[in-house]
Amino acid sequence: MTAGHRPRWAVLCALGIGVVLVGALSLRFGVRPLAWDSAVQALVGFDPGDPDHIAVRTLRVPRTIAAILAGAALGLAGALMQALTRNPLADPGLLGVNGGAAMGVVVAIWGFGVTGQAMLVAPALLGAGLAAVLVLSLGGGATGRAGDSARLVLAGAAVGALFLALTWAILIVSRESLDVYRFWVLGGFRRVDMAQLSALWPFYGLAALFAALAALSLNPLLLGEDTARGLGVRVGLVRLVTLLAVIALCGTTVALAGPIAFVGLIVPHLARPLAGPDIRWLAALSAAMGALLALSADIAGRLVQPGREIEAGAMIALIGGPALIVLVRQRRAAPI
Amino acid sequence: MRSKSRTLHRIAFLLAIVLAVGHIVPAHSQSFEIHHRFGSTQIDGTPRRVVSLSYNGHDFLLALGVTPVALRHWYGDHPFGVWPWAQAALGDAEPVVLRGAIDIERLAALKPDLIIGQWSGMTEAEYRLLSRIAPTLPPAEAEGDYTSSWRLILSRLGMALGRQAEAEAIAGRLDRRFAQIRAARPHWRDRTAVMVWPPRTGAYTRRDLRGRFLADLGFKTPPALEALAGERAFHVEVPQEDLSPIDADVLIWLHTQDARPIVDGMPLRPSMRAHKEGREIFLDATLTSALSHSSPLSLDYALDRLVPMIEAAVDGDPATPVPDSDDMRGIRQP
Repeated sequence: MTAGHRPRWAVLCALGIGVVLVGALSLRFGVRPLAWDSAVQALVGFDPGDPDHIAVRTLRVPRTIAAILAGAALGLAGALMQALTRNPLADPGLLGVNGGAAMGVVVAIWGFGVTGQAMLVAPALLGAGLAAVLVLSLGGGATGRAGDSARLVLAGAAVGALFLALTWAILIVSRESLDVYRFWVLGGFRRVDMAQLSALWPFYGLAALFAALAALSLNPLLLGEDTARGLGVRVGLVRLVTLLAVIALCGTTVALAGPIAFVGLIVPHLARPLAGPDIRWLAALSAAMGALLALSADIAGRLVQPGREIEAGAMIALIGGPALIVLVRQRRAAPI
Repeated sequence: MRSKSRTLHRIAFLLAIVLAVGHIVPAHSQSFEIHHRFGSTQIDGTPRRVVSLSYNGHDFLLALGVTPVALRHWYGDHPFGVWPWAQAALGDAEPVVLRGAIDIERLAALKPDLIIGQWSGMTEAEYRLLSRIAPTLPPAEAEGDYTSSWRLILSRLGMALGRQAEAEAIAGRLDRRFAQIRAARPHWRDRTAVMVWPPRTGAYTRRDLRGRFLADLGFKTPPALEALAGERAFHVEVPQEDLSPIDADVLIWLHTQDARPIVDGMPLRPSMRAHKEGREIFLDATLTSALSHSSPLSLDYALDRLVPMIEAAVDGDPATPVPDSDDMRGIRQP
């Protein structure tokens, strides 16, 4: 399109290489001091008796994959969400899935006595799904009438607030729930294991499919819904596919890593100057940048305090808060 | 004759009253002040309507023979939130059970004349509000929300309630029991021991009730754990990647259900010395809670059951199995 002169392929390749390099750092650095040699050996010549190898294989590999997946999903969801609502402050969290997931988690602990983090994936996913269905039906997302983005965002905010209120109502009476919830709600990747990743693969696959369809068909909507309709675009269908993509991406991510803020909000703004107005490029670059940001935040969280770890969710908020202020102050946000 | 015996009766009756009054009054004939981390509190006379905001406070009150008007629910689904070791002391009493955060209005409605909270996590703002309702007892000077020892909690409650003698007698008896255990097991001295919650591996330091319990038995918390926690923390989370701070001579896993499957799922646990040498102890919900309460009523129960387990674990010989901890076994009724 108009920004055809930008070397966008080169940018995407550079980001891809960046993700691989930082991913390698993520296997090498952490609370447990390791040599490059054992990080490599753990992958190519695994010795089940070597604690260093176990740490790399069972702890660092899953969290690295999780950080890449979650960061990419949130960056992508943010790009789609901002394009759909044409609101630069739209965050995928506005659709209420985090509130739904939080309630799923708390109900599972309080009502069913679940205590292991790994067992919270299914209830979080269910809660996010329930919130999404409510938001879609209240917000008229499925009917596809014009100008419904505001209604949808309002429905999302209302449902999210309702679910969070219910969550707190349970937390007040159940101390056991609070003990688990206060760690879950920080959001992070260090408790992810391979079983959770393999359970969530199909959901990410489905989400990626919807996201690809949405990214390929959203461009005409930037001209305004009426113009798009005049061009023969089925606006309602595009909206629905986009919403489903955002919900699947965020719902799966909150089930995997807990609620992680700021990635979906910040990353599209960082990607937009490089991507130009093309949604397809914006989506691809946002995904890559999201992965890079989440991965870097996770590594930073391991190194800030020697011997201890800070959750990636907290590190991202620490980086994201000031970044957002800089962004707003400089008014560099390109028009959507 | 009749009148003489009546007079004698009267004198005896009067004497009894004087003695009884004399027994109570000197402790609390006038008001006194007790200093604490938020300043000082003035207590007039002997409190009668005591509300406990400490999660384990009711155990201490019951041990001193005081039934609280209301108590703070901690966890578990026992009647009135009172665990088995304290149920006999509670008897038929039906205290109000306070759940969740501190509710000032609800407390005011209870019309207490003493509010205790040495292990309640009350903030200074909450303390100021509570003090308007009744004299309030927060943690002592230099103590954190959850760092007070059971001895300190008990002796300060004894002072506030005018039951110093009872408090001293209880503390003396428990101190003697700990001393006897220490004397009989010199090989425990200065070995390392630690209590840990899986799966986030949150470990207690020497400033916590559970760390103090181990110290009373002669153990010390691992130096690496204290270094990680710093000077003031009562609790520290040990990262999964490096479990060496909790790889002690005795490693005690706490849990509200069954720690075993969760601990088995920790990737680096098989490489721990404590695991290879059979130094681990798995506690059930009741024993875990007895240590968490660390009250004059729960400590005996905890010692009865835990001492043989530690003895089997500390030898570092996997061939001596650590006895399994079955719930509800051997609740002693005082």
